[in-house]
Amino acid sequence: MKLMKLEIVTPLGVIFDDEVKQVTLPGSEGEFGVLPDHAALVSLLDTGVIVIETKDGKEISVAVNSGYVKVEENKTLCVVDGAVALNAEDSNLASAIAEAKELLEKASDSNMAIASAMSKVDSLSKGV
Amino acid sequence: MANLKEIKRKISSVKGTQKTTRAMKLVSSAKLKRAEEVAKRSKVYASKLTELLNEIAQKMNNSDGEIDNVFFKENPNPKVVDIVFVSADKGLCGGFNYQTIKRVNKLLKEYSNVEVRLSGIGKKGIAFYRYNKLDMINEIEDLSASPSYERAAEFISKLVEDYIEGKTDKIILVHNGYVNMITQEIVEQQLLPVDSSTVDLDSVSMSELEVEPDDDDTLIDALVRKYIDYSMYYALLNSLAAEHSARMQAMDAATSNAGEMVQKLTVKYNKARQEAITTELIEIISGMESLK
Repeated sequence: MKLMKLEIVTPLGVIFDDEVKQVTLPGSEGEFGVLPDHAALVSLLDTGVIVIETKDGKEISVAVNSGYVKVEENKTLCVVDGAVALNAEDSNLASAIAEAKELLEKASDSNMAIASAMSKVDSLSKGV
Repeated sequence: MANLKEIKRKISSVKGTQKTTRAMKLVSSAKLKRAEEVAKRSKVYASKLTELLNEIAQKMNNSDGEIDNVFFKENPNPKVVDIVFVSADKGLCGGFNYQTIKRVNKLLKEYSNVEVRLSGIGKKGIAFYRYNKLDMINEIEDLSASPSYERAAEFISKLVEDYIEGKTDKIILVHNGYVNMITQEIVEQQLLPVDSSTVDLDSVSMSELEVEPDDDDTLIDALVRKYIDYSMYYALLNSLAAEHSARMQAMDAATSNAGEMVQKLTVKYNKARQEAITTELIEIISGMESLK
């Protein structure tokens, strides 16, 4: 399967920079998925969860508060204000989830967005 | 003899000062490392954000090469100019704060024919303009030692609102920037209107760019606001790193000056001691001579 480059940058540094199979993003007009060879696109990101399918088929979730995404043919760049990575194999998943929840709660005044993001984060903790 | 004692006291006092300055230098170099690290990390973000802004601006670019947006429109006859400066909260860092003040004064002179509003961050700069009876519309005293994105954004957003409402025509940011361990450089940056000459229009050739939400203004407004907030925050980080490097230098110079002074005083002390011994010897010898 084709891969594309994904970069997630926050004011505190680059938190993800690798090849991925697919990424699902919380756009301000609705959630959308990006596969390799996607058309060029720029979108606002809302509070939510970015779901990444890595090149070895693993799933990583990243909770974000707000930002932008720019999609080019085989390169996706997310510039976000705050992000917490939730990796199911990480031993500190519980604390990361708590951190992610705090970030989401503070981030948005739209309860809908928070609730949907929260449920995603919660489902992740149950999966462990 | 009294002279001897006095010199000795002076030496120990200078040595005490030297200890303090040396400790301050060490503290600053540790803090500098941290500040430098933070500044470096956010530089990536800053460059990506600028990249994004460039591309959007390219899309907004209409046929006559102008960007049709309130944030990009330069007013040829500005009536109100806002100057925002960042200084340190603490002194003992050489000419660090004074350089910023000097540049702000230069700008004040340059814009003396229009209304200038001053906003300040950092105790030292604020204290200077208070003393000189210049009013500031916004001031924060405890932000420059511990930069926070939220507070920086809150601070600058007041001015951005004023700009949108037409209360001000231009916002200029002045701060001291970090170049390397031994050099700092004053940075003067025009925040608003966004200087479209910094937007490199030729670097991007994406005409088939989809934008969501598809109303262009929403996206570019949000992006420009972010860009400004972030510029403000980055200015604080940069200024903090510069402050620590300036203080490190100042304290290093102070430590070596103190060392020199101790050396000079020691020579003086030894001379005085010699002199005292010689006088004493002469007294004894001449006393013995008179007994013969």
